[in-house]
Amino acid sequence: MSGVLQVRRAGNSQVTDLGRFRGPRFGLPVNGALDQWSARAANILAGNDDDAALVEITALDFTAATTSDLLIAVTGSPATVRVGGRPVRQWEPVSVRAGETIRVTGITGGLRTYLAVHGSLGAPRLLGSCAPDTVIGFGLRLADGHEVATLASVRPIRQPYFDLPLFRLGPRRPDFTAPRTVCVTDGPDVDEFGDSAHLLFEAPYVVSARSNHIGLRLGGELPERQSSGEVLSRGVPVGAVEVPSRDELLVLHRGRGVTAGYPVLAVVTSLSLDTLAQARPGDAVIFRKTGTAEAAAALRAARAELDTLRRTVNTVFSALGVAARADNDPAAHVAAGA
Amino acid sequence: MGSSPVAPVLVHESGDSALRVVATGPDAAWSTVHRLADWLDAAGADGVHGVVPTYDSLLVEFDPTLISARQLRAFLQLGVRQLANDATPDRAPREFDVPVVYGGSYGPDLAAVAQIQGLDPEDVINLHCAKTYVIRCLGAPAGSPMMDGPDFPVPVPRLKDPRLSVPAGAVAVAGRQAVIAPATAPGGWQVIGQTPLSLLDLAREPLVPYAPGDIIRFHRVAESAFDMLSGRSLAASR
Repeated sequence: MSGVLQVRRAGNSQVTDLGRFRGPRFGLPVNGALDQWSARAANILAGNDDDAALVEITALDFTAATTSDLLIAVTGSPATVRVGGRPVRQWEPVSVRAGETIRVTGITGGLRTYLAVHGSLGAPRLLGSCAPDTVIGFGLRLADGHEVATLASVRPIRQPYFDLPLFRLGPRRPDFTAPRTVCVTDGPDVDEFGDSAHLLFEAPYVVSARSNHIGLRLGGELPERQSSGEVLSRGVPVGAVEVPSRDELLVLHRGRGVTAGYPVLAVVTSLSLDTLAQARPGDAVIFRKTGTAEAAAALRAARAELDTLRRTVNTVFSALGVAARADNDPAAHVAAGA
Repeated sequence: MGSSPVAPVLVHESGDSALRVVATGPDAAWSTVHRLADWLDAAGADGVHGVVPTYDSLLVEFDPTLISARQLRAFLQLGVRQLANDATPDRAPREFDVPVVYGGSYGPDLAAVAQIQGLDPEDVINLHCAKTYVIRCLGAPAGSPMMDGPDFPVPVPRLKDPRLSVPAGAVAVAGRQAVIAPATAPGGWQVIGQTPLSLLDLAREPLVPYAPGDIIRFHRVAESAFDMLSGRSLAASR
């Protein structure tokens, strides 16, 4: 049975997924959840595919009412999460009964909190992805009064009168302590910065308020390009560290334009892009140099943790009669008894 | 017509999830990176997300948990060898005629560009309309057709203060390049005119009607024609 999330207070929220991977071929940024680890974990904890549509809530409070029984999971930045007035835990599946209100308030420590709903959410797609693209004006940016379809219902699997969490699945939570350490590998144009390249690792940088999903701007001691001359536009990876001005360092994130003409000093690792996604304006960031092999190995290890979590969730959910993976077969969404 | 030549490529690390492939041949660089991009696309290798071919380089994005950088490098070199032996003729380019209102509020930087070139604004317009442009690649924002610029005497510097909003349809130049903006976005290129036609259609795939290798010609229209043509979609004339 499907229902809707009635958005009462949208704050700064949108429906997204892991990104538009076919976009760059057509000149569109990949976009998608900025903290990929938290988004994957939320979907896994809700029994979804990693790439299912979910809500990304940035910085501001969010409230939505439900019209059907749901199973949700909230991950990402620490926040106060209440369902029907009861405080609930993040990083655990949570039952919500029809008519109850989900409140995410006081996002602190990080910047982005993720709300996944078992069975996923209805959202328009472009090139296979629902990820909003602010440049072309595509996607479901939420506003007060919006209704978002919830595609499956799960009857309560937690006695709401006992204040004991039913699940203790315990995935690793990101580290939100300051200063944030961000790993980078040498960029393909590091030589253009000559002896000044090492400045990136000498002292902390501070995240500017002018940062967003396209890129983070950081103030600090800036490496300087030693060469001059026009650079032909080239494809730039997400995570590219550039020095476009004398004022700030620019780190491109998932909303980045796919081509640019600035030399790439360094590239933030996939895992550290999640860390940057949670950096708040004013936060200190320390860059640490790593190698691509080491970074890829760290990413594989992190994904293996998610694989373990997925297996655990599948086991628990199948014992409870909840379809462990959402798919398009309505019969797969077996409602569970309390 | 035979198939374009294939140049040797150098592959550089570009983070843990991307490789930058640079073609080294003097003439064949552009066709090499675009043919390699098409080859990779068609191969549909597991873990290879996307390709961004531009002028002499190609960014290949991948998921290192599904394919290693070493495997991907070997795969790319296989592609180069296969393409070198592939005699399939190139796709015939399509041609697009783009009406442009130059100067005034449509092209706020026309006078500045003319001054930099030591030309009259009329000469700038004539030079811009005189050339047949080959679309080199699709760039930011939103599938912009990136082209080699008009035959101006000197390169066009970028704006010192990039605009926070450049309207869709803006016809701009920078360095030795030319472009049309499919969507409203910030921009640091000098805007000399604007086309009333729409380039981007989110209900269509691909989202823009042109592809690298296609040909664009600009022609001047009067300001009075702008509203009349406004909202029509750009379509190939042949």
